[in-house]
Amino acid sequence: MTLTLSYHWRNLFVRKTTTALTVLVIAAVVGTFTWLLGFVVALSDSLAVAADPRKVIVMQRGSISETNSALPPEDFNKLMQISEVASDGQPLISPEMMVQVSLARVRDGGTTQANVAVRGVTEAAFKVHRNVKLLGAAFSTGAPEIIVGRKAAQQFQGLQIGQSIRLGFSGTREYKVVGYFSAAGGPMESEIWGYLPSLQSAYGRTVYSAASLRLADGADAAAVVKQIDGPAIQLEAMTESEYWQNQSSNVRFYQAVCYVLVGMMSLAAVFSVANTMFSTVAGRTREIAMLRTIGFSPGQVRLGFVIESVLLSLVGGAIGCAGCAAYLAIMGNTKDMFGASNFTTIAFEIHLTPLIIAGAMLMVAIVGVLGSLAPASRAARIQAIAALREP
Amino acid sequence: MTLKLTYLWRNLTRNPVRSLLTCAAVGLPILIYVLSISVIHGIERFLDNSAQQLRLAVTHKTSIINPLPAGHRQKIESLDPTHARILTVCGVRWIGGQIKDDPRQLTTLAVDHDTFASTFPDFGLKPDEQAAWLRDRQALAAGGATATQFGWKVGDKVTIWPSVPPYVGMEFHIVSIGPDAADPTTCWCRRDYLDEGLKNTGAPGGLVSFFFLRCASKDDLEHFRVAIDELFARTPDETLTQDEKAFMNQFITQQFNLPRNLSILAAATVFVAIMAAANTMSMNFRDRLNEYATLKSLGFRSGLVFSLIQSESMLLCAIGGLAGAATPFIAFNYTPLREVQIPLILTLQVAAADCLAALGISLLIGVISAIWPSLMAARLHVVAALRNLE
Repeated sequence: MTLTLSYHWRNLFVRKTTTALTVLVIAAVVGTFTWLLGFVVALSDSLAVAADPRKVIVMQRGSISETNSALPPEDFNKLMQISEVASDGQPLISPEMMVQVSLARVRDGGTTQANVAVRGVTEAAFKVHRNVKLLGAAFSTGAPEIIVGRKAAQQFQGLQIGQSIRLGFSGTREYKVVGYFSAAGGPMESEIWGYLPSLQSAYGRTVYSAASLRLADGADAAAVVKQIDGPAIQLEAMTESEYWQNQSSNVRFYQAVCYVLVGMMSLAAVFSVANTMFSTVAGRTREIAMLRTIGFSPGQVRLGFVIESVLLSLVGGAIGCAGCAAYLAIMGNTKDMFGASNFTTIAFEIHLTPLIIAGAMLMVAIVGVLGSLAPASRAARIQAIAALREP
Repeated sequence: MTLKLTYLWRNLTRNPVRSLLTCAAVGLPILIYVLSISVIHGIERFLDNSAQQLRLAVTHKTSIINPLPAGHRQKIESLDPTHARILTVCGVRWIGGQIKDDPRQLTTLAVDHDTFASTFPDFGLKPDEQAAWLRDRQALAAGGATATQFGWKVGDKVTIWPSVPPYVGMEFHIVSIGPDAADPTTCWCRRDYLDEGLKNTGAPGGLVSFFFLRCASKDDLEHFRVAIDELFARTPDETLTQDEKAFMNQFITQQFNLPRNLSILAAATVFVAIMAAANTMSMNFRDRLNEYATLKSLGFRSGLVFSLIQSESMLLCAIGGLAGAATPFIAFNYTPLREVQIPLILTLQVAAADCLAALGISLLIGVISAIWPSLMAARLHVVAALRNLE
């Protein structure tokens, strides 16, 4: 026999002020936590799409981003000797050039500018980057045309079909937007793609920036990376996931700092819950003694107070999540981040997914349990006879 | 007075668990508040310094990765032949860099050596160091935090592998370490040495990532911010000129926007502290209702009852706030934590002023959290309250 949930639920309304204040403490902590979690999950989701284990990015030795890398054709040709590369008649190796263009953000009406990646590609890119899907026309190889990633088109100005942007070493070549593409939500959706030879000539370059390889089924990516780093090829290689881990390392560091601070806030919430529960237990001594007298065990009393505390916390958690959702709805949920060393803006959107809400609720439940442990034990130790005898 | 203090102290200690939990629930948010504000103020100090230096940053209009020809410097200088309004112009090229087999990234900038010291006086190059800087093409001036992180001393030889062409290890001689440099995580080297390295590998030299120029006054800053872009309008290599604060701010806002996110966090923590303390005060009020009624029936005035509750709340929050503010102040000023090799901590300054402000805020938290109980107690109807006595 256990106490019913409705008993605990009704108890929360006995001391309305105390309950409301405790709920607000928890709501503030959970609201902050949920926002942070939303940011992390949105960023991770976007980067996880890019973590194709069969894709390897090759750059010049010493470079850590495609932007800063320069890969001469003769170095590129050395990659042809790698037998693990997938093939459809030709090895699936995509030579690419990476530059940027400064574009105004939509979300603040164009007062700030983002550095949007422009990737020069050939037909091979669409075979190597499998998740890239054209939505509409492709760029032609003869005219100065570009296609734009879905998120870039939403978040940066001047990227609607028919509009033009200026690119090139001196920023003097006009390129017309002719179509969009998606990349399963990955970071490439924040990019602009154009035809490699055309962009090379616009930037006065004869070299590529980097190359992407698609490995054959069952190939060992680590071995390929090692072979490329080795004496025969002497280039820098990393898997796609490793590359994006590096690029987001700075943001992740700041997030970690905020996590520590939110963790400390949760501890404050635990103390606040404990305070409330101690007071609840003290105020209900006779009631607890009565429960013990009619046959409830100390364990059941203890569990009862833990449940009550968790209920209290969950109410706070629900309000916190709702507050966070309202904040995102009012203040906007589009964000972008700057890669650690590629100078490229990755756009993403924060959504409160069921997983994030579940995570926040789990965190609150832990706060509720931790906050109630000591008060619930005190309740369980109440001696029924002595307590009933008290006035 | 003594009676009042004794009364307050007795009240605080008669439910020690509740007082301790409240102190902790106020102290922890205050601690987070102090840390957040210290980081925010650090960033603000950095940006304010940028604003005070009256510097403009000139980049390529297309994007910051498009290089500008080094020859733009003469054209910018020719806007003011007297050098009275544009004091000095310095070309800067970003080369990033890494020490071999060390994953940590460096921020290395190759600059025009003749105008480095005059354009960036906030690095703090001393006169003898400047002589060495001008004499030695391989000179490196390292920011204090980076030097500490890598254990560098003046006179050391270090090999840095740039993240851009020529990609080969370049040996540098450390001529200066700027312990008080405005940007302690940046290292500076000479652009002529970089161009020499580029020439050896066949890569083009004579290019810069941005120009920094120092103006004589705020008006000049505003004037040339527009004039430089007009000078290069409708030419190849159009420019985008911003004051240095705006230029730096765009990097900060794009990297998690730490100042804004920490401000929200700080506001949330103060809210948490207010609610936690208010909870305690309202629980106290409920428990002591008959005491307040008794006090009033004995003839204590409403004002005194009000001030007793307010003082108790302020004292409680001040104790919590003192613990919360003193902990980071001592930890970051007087313990080995000061030396932790993380740039964010190396540049973190927990100032006494911020800690005192936090203490003030905790007093305010005390006042706000006791408003409702103290007003209720002051307005208490003696007869009605005593009738409720069990």
